[in-house]
Amino acid sequence: MPQFFLNKRLIVLLVSIIILVALIGFSLRERSELTWPEKFVKDTTGWVESLVSKPAHFFAGFFQNLEDLQNTYHENKELKTRVEKIAELEKQVQILEKDNKELRVILDKKKTLRDFKPLQATVIGRNPDRWQEMIIIDKGKTSGLKQNMAVIGSNGSLLGKIKHVNQFSSTVQLLSAADPKNQISTIILGDTSSYGLVDGYDKEKRLMVKRIPADAKIKKGQLVVTSGLGGVFPKGLLIGKVVEVKPDQYGLNQTAYVKPGANFYDIENVMVAKKTMRVPEATDYLESKGEGQ
Amino acid sequence: MSRLLLPILFGALFIVESLFVQYTPADLFGDGKIFAPHFLLAGIIFLSVFGSKKHGIIYGFVFGALFDIVYTEILGVYLFLFPLTAYFASKAMRVIHANLFTASGVSLIAIALVEIAVYWINLLINVTDLSFVNYLEIRFYPTILLNLAFVVLAAFPFKWQFEKFAEELGND
Repeated sequence: MPQFFLNKRLIVLLVSIIILVALIGFSLRERSELTWPEKFVKDTTGWVESLVSKPAHFFAGFFQNLEDLQNTYHENKELKTRVEKIAELEKQVQILEKDNKELRVILDKKKTLRDFKPLQATVIGRNPDRWQEMIIIDKGKTSGLKQNMAVIGSNGSLLGKIKHVNQFSSTVQLLSAADPKNQISTIILGDTSSYGLVDGYDKEKRLMVKRIPADAKIKKGQLVVTSGLGGVFPKGLLIGKVVEVKPDQYGLNQTAYVKPGANFYDIENVMVAKKTMRVPEATDYLESKGEGQ
Repeated sequence: MSRLLLPILFGALFIVESLFVQYTPADLFGDGKIFAPHFLLAGIIFLSVFGSKKHGIIYGFVFGALFDIVYTEILGVYLFLFPLTAYFASKAMRVIHANLFTASGVSLIAIALVEIAVYWINLLINVTDLSFVNYLEIRFYPTILLNLAFVVLAAFPFKWQFEKFAEELGND
């Protein structure tokens, strides 16, 4: 027995297991900010990574271009047929936009949940362990980024949200991450819009939009966009298209399976959406509660 | 100059892993399969086999910490697993004769064990809800295949480099 406790290695192992559990527990807390050593390490590695990733982007772009050249003829044919339709659509959009602006002036309502300032950022790293789907971008607090801002891919659909900001870099959690805290309020566009929450990503690469009321009629092919409610996400960012609807376990709600509009792989450039309308803070809710009494 | 070589080599492996997942197409091993590179761990195991055990554990500790802070944001997992596997790999080498094949085998076993341990931890802390059978099919086999390919390519340069390093250590 005494020999058992004198075994130095065993004690080291036990102590390090205790430290491991403590550290995991510490990092799983809902943290609004990282500790300064973490930030320092992240900024330093971010600097090195951005040095490396620029030539890497260049090389990857070169091979991408070669591939694009091969497809050009085929794509050109297909696109020509679409261009004609686009002109028609564009005309409509312009008329509607003008209408919308005029009506807004009449109503004296200038800002909407939909307005945001895009800020371009380059991806400088990605989590190689691939359990947490996270990318690192080269803009941080100095560029005015904040936690939970929406991140959009190059085709305009929602990629994820900012998890942590450092001084010169930040981490983005992709929508494909299976994080129960990663819920995003959405609208499913239709004749009558219904609200739901993005919650989870399944094996078949579909997002699950849960908590849709049971009486909402949702069809395949309807678009899902962000609702802009409850936080820093602007309204109307595309999330994806409904491919399947199922009632949930107890039949009180429905779950829609959504094919995401963004490609979660091969991401090079992203845009961070800074909402221009004032973001509500916790104190706002407290104040309004006080008025009610 | 040679003093700087190892940190640069491991730093490069650290960044290459991230670039690798950024640029490889999603369906390299078929649709829906996930493959995670563990090049850094392979390097650490080779270092502790052919270089020195002490350095293997130190590099495992430092780069495990970096990996946790920069990439996963869950502290402790790789910080703990990298030095531990480096330690056991050097222990195993006392029994087995160290050559290219045994070292490659040991590093692959280490990668497999770390991969399963990380799955298990992630299951515990609700990062994933994959069942073990699904995990094996979707993640484990593609990951092992990918790292086997890397180990085959890198085994000889690693051995050469780390044996040179061990010699320099002996001369000092």
